[in-house]
Amino acid sequence: MKRPIVPAAIAALLAACSANPRGLRPMGDGIDPRSIPTEYRADYELFAQRCSKCHGLARALENDRVDPRFWDRYVDRMRHQPGSGIAPEDVPPILHFLYFYSGATPAEGDAGK
Amino acid sequence: MSSHRPLFAGLVLAVLFAILDLRSALAVEHNFAGSLQLDYHLAPERSTPTTAGPTFRGFTTEAALKATADLNDHLSVNVKVCFGCHGFETDMAYAEYRFADELDVRAGRFSPSFGAFNLRHDPANHRLSDKPLAYDMGRMLRLRDWNLGVLPAPFPDNGAEVSGTHWFGSTYQLDWAAHVVSGFKGSDAGADLDFVQSRNGSLYYVDNNDQPSYGGRVSLTRRFADVGDATLGASVMHGAFDPRAQLSYTIAGADLSVRIRKMNFRIEYLVRRQDLDVSSPDRFRYEVPASGGDHFLKHGAYAEAEIPVTPTLDIVGRFDLLYRSGNVLRDSPLQARSGVFRYTVGTAYTLRRGLRLKYSTELWSFSDLGYAGRHTAVSMHLGAAVAF
Repeated sequence: MKRPIVPAAIAALLAACSANPRGLRPMGDGIDPRSIPTEYRADYELFAQRCSKCHGLARALENDRVDPRFWDRYVDRMRHQPGSGIAPEDVPPILHFLYFYSGATPAEGDAGK
Repeated sequence: MSSHRPLFAGLVLAVLFAILDLRSALAVEHNFAGSLQLDYHLAPERSTPTTAGPTFRGFTTEAALKATADLNDHLSVNVKVCFGCHGFETDMAYAEYRFADELDVRAGRFSPSFGAFNLRHDPANHRLSDKPLAYDMGRMLRLRDWNLGVLPAPFPDNGAEVSGTHWFGSTYQLDWAAHVVSGFKGSDAGADLDFVQSRNGSLYYVDNNDQPSYGGRVSLTRRFADVGDATLGASVMHGAFDPRAQLSYTIAGADLSVRIRKMNFRIEYLVRRQDLDVSSPDRFRYEVPASGGDHFLKHGAYAEAEIPVTPTLDIVGRFDLLYRSGNVLRDSPLQARSGVFRYTVGTAYTLRRGLRLKYSTELWSFSDLGYAGRHTAVSMHLGAAVAF
């Protein structure tokens, strides 16, 4: 019997592409909230609500940057987009989630909680 | 030359700040983003039994790649190149300096702030394959007859813009912007804007007259706790389009966007007042009156709703229109008053994160008869868009 090596390899590759080291399950353009640790769930919901107003969440979630300064400037740039609806007080929780998601380690006193 | 002074001063300031800040730009942050959309447009309407007529049909591809470099907390540089039905173009190439939330200056090449759709013009950022008719840049039926929409998007141009945003508490966000750019172009005997000439890189993105176009936008956003928000905006731009700077255009618009959780409802209206060169009245089909016959008006509007049915599936409904009133050239298929309504239903399905499949069906109703002797037409789009 011919072993299904190729289909299995493709399935494994697809699974690897969509897997997140923290066990976060993709759902649509975002993440299944049930797979997010409770501590970050509300912050994710805020991120998803605000950031999907102008673009898909993939723009941020498919970015593999781990430098917290990158995320600080990224969110700051988005906050200044006209009609973004991202108030200054939204920035810390959004960064809190993005630091967690990206694996960034914020320095002491950084914007994340 | 004097009319170029504000633009020149803006560019000098931007370069000066860039040079000053380069010293502190030891750790430059880069970001790359892009999008790709392949769309198949099925448009059965024909001009004759053997020719396709003035409609882009079949496959079209739009691709864009954007690079952003944050030199420090205040200064950034953005470059975006895109490929569409008309080849490679520079959609953005500008430096931006933010003095404060309320004062931001950018200079170079960019689409000036106008309307609500401008922020979502990238095909990865809107759910349907095509744009609202008011902003159409080539996917509408009979596009040559109509010379596209009111303000085909995107509309990158060379110049400078000052803008700002201010929050009143955590409820109201006020945004404002004022720009001075080269402006749209047209011929000496212009009967309308020439959008190919206006955006064509082979003409070196140089203006055809020395009179800049200017305009601005103001919008107010109100947040409703965590439920959503609503934005009300108004925009205007004005400039001369012919080489002698004798003929002008003015575009004005108003928009309302409401977001409730992940649902979006949008209404937008644009109107363009366009001068006509009536020095040779014989060119026109209708008699040119002694007063008031030297321009036409082109209106465009749309109302749309995006409703997420599941986390992966959105349904979209849109109604839009174009209406033109004014004299026409003798060979124009349009009349003194011509209009078109379009009714669209569509879906957007997220196959994987960043990959969206789009399908939509459009019913068109024209006031003028088409080449096949019909007022109505149906078209369909099937596309895929990737954002990265």
